[in-house]
Amino acid sequence: MYDKKVIRRRRAALAVLLGLSLILLTAYFGESPSGVLHGVQRGAQQVLAPVESGASKAFKPFSDLFNWVGDAFGAKGQNKKLKKELAATRAQLAAAQSALRENQQLRAMVGLPRRPGFPQGTNPVAARVIARSPTDWYSTISIDKGSSDGIHPDQPVVTGDGLVGKIESATHGTAQVTLITDASSAVSAQIMPDGSSGILRPAVGDPSDLQLDFIQKGRQIKKGQAVVTAGFQSSGLQPLFPRGIPIGRVRTANPSEIQTYQRVHVQAYADFGRFDYVQVLTARPPGVQAASVGVGP
Amino acid sequence: MIVTGGSIFRTGLLVLLGVVIQISGLSQFHVLGASPDLTPLIVAAVALWAGSVPGAVTGFFVGLLLDLALGQNLGSSSLVLSAVGYGVGRYGELRDPAHGLIAIPVGAAATAGYLTAFAAVSFMLETAPSISALVLRDTLVTTILNAIVAVPIFGLVRRVIRPVLLAQPAGRRRRAHTRETGPIGLRGLEV
Repeated sequence: MYDKKVIRRRRAALAVLLGLSLILLTAYFGESPSGVLHGVQRGAQQVLAPVESGASKAFKPFSDLFNWVGDAFGAKGQNKKLKKELAATRAQLAAAQSALRENQQLRAMVGLPRRPGFPQGTNPVAARVIARSPTDWYSTISIDKGSSDGIHPDQPVVTGDGLVGKIESATHGTAQVTLITDASSAVSAQIMPDGSSGILRPAVGDPSDLQLDFIQKGRQIKKGQAVVTAGFQSSGLQPLFPRGIPIGRVRTANPSEIQTYQRVHVQAYADFGRFDYVQVLTARPPGVQAASVGVGP
Repeated sequence: MIVTGGSIFRTGLLVLLGVVIQISGLSQFHVLGASPDLTPLIVAAVALWAGSVPGAVTGFFVGLLLDLALGQNLGSSSLVLSAVGYGVGRYGELRDPAHGLIAIPVGAAATAGYLTAFAAVSFMLETAPSISALVLRDTLVTTILNAIVAVPIFGLVRRVIRPVLLAQPAGRRRRAHTRETGPIGLRGLEV
C-alpha cells in the first residue's frame, strides 16, 4: 500500500495540473487576441510550422494511398447508390416520355375532326390499343372499347394522323380493327385536289407501301398530293367510309406500270407501329360532303 | 519513473513526435470520416507503464502542445488529458495489468473518455454550441480505430520509456533465476 504522503503528493500533482489548466483557460479567455498567451501560441505555431510542414509532406504519399483505397471502397457504395438513382430516374423519364407521347396522340386525335374537310357528325369514340398483331401479313389490333360503347363492324378507325383501319368485329368491351395495311384491306380513295379516285391496297409483301390503283392514265399526279377516303362503295370491295378522312400523301406515280390505268404509291400519314390510341367514328355524317383539300398532319 | 534528464528528454521527444505526427500526418488518414488519434494513446501508454503522476504530467504537456499548435483554447486539452493520464495511471497502479492485449481496452477507454470530455469542455466554452450526430459518430469511429492501433502504440511507448521506468512492466518481468533441482525436486540429489 502507498503511504499517505505518496497519496497526498499524487493528488496534489493532479490538482496542480488541473488548476494550471483552468488558470490557462481562464487567462486565455480573459485576455485580448494581442495578449501574452495568444502571443505564445502564435510563436509556438511559427516554431512548429516547419516541422508540421515536413511531417505533412512525408505523410502525404501514404495518406493519399490510404485515402485512395478508402475512396475506392466508398466509390463502390456510391456507384451502387447512383445506379439505383439512375434506374429510378430512367423509370420516371420513361413514364414522362410515355405520358408525353400519349398526350401528343390524344391532342392530335382531338384536333383531327376539327380539320377542314374531315367529315362532321361522326361521333368519335376514343379507345386504347390493347393488342397488336406481330406480323406484317395480318395487320390487326385490338382496342378496349366494344359494342357497349357503340362500336360495330365496318366503322372507320382513325388516329390523329388519319385513317388506320376499320372495325372487323366487336364484343361487349373490346373490338378488333383491321388496319389498311392488312393484305385483305381495300379502301376507295381520292387524290386531292385533282379528284382522281381509285382503290387503295397494301403492296404484297410490303404493307407499308400503299398502292392506289385504277387511276386514269391521263391524270397528272404529283408527289405530295393528299389522299383521302372517297366516300363511295366500290362493288364488293369495301364498305363505305365517310368522305374526306385523310389517309396519306402521294409518294410516287408510275404511269407505265399498268397500261390503261396508272398506279400511285401512297405514304400513309399514320405510323402503324407507334400509335397507342385510336378513335372509332361510330356515326355516319349526315348527307354527302364534298371532300376538300387541307388534310394531312 | 525516475525523473532524470534522460527521462524528461525521452518523454518530451515522445510527446513532441506524437503531437506532430498526429496533427500533420495521421489527421490526413480518413476512415469513415474520422482519423485515429495518437494523443490519448500516448498519454494512456505512459500512464499505464509509468504511473498516474507521470501520466497526468504527460497528458498536461501533450494537451498544451496540441492547444498551442492548433490554436485551440489554451488549457482545454491539457485539462482533459491530465485527467485521462491520471485515471489510466491509477488503473495501472491498482490492478497492475499484465495481459498482452490490455492496451486495447485501455486505449479505447482513454480515447472515448478524452473525446467525450473534450467535447463537453468545448461545449461549455463555446458561445453557441451545437452537438450533431456527426460528433457522436466521429467519437465512436476514432475510439474503434484507436483500439485497433493501441497494441503497437503501447508497445512502442513502452520501448521508449522502459530504460527510465522504476520497475519493468508486469508482462515483461523476468523471473529470478532459480536453482535447478534434482529429479524428485530436492536440491543436492542431482544424478
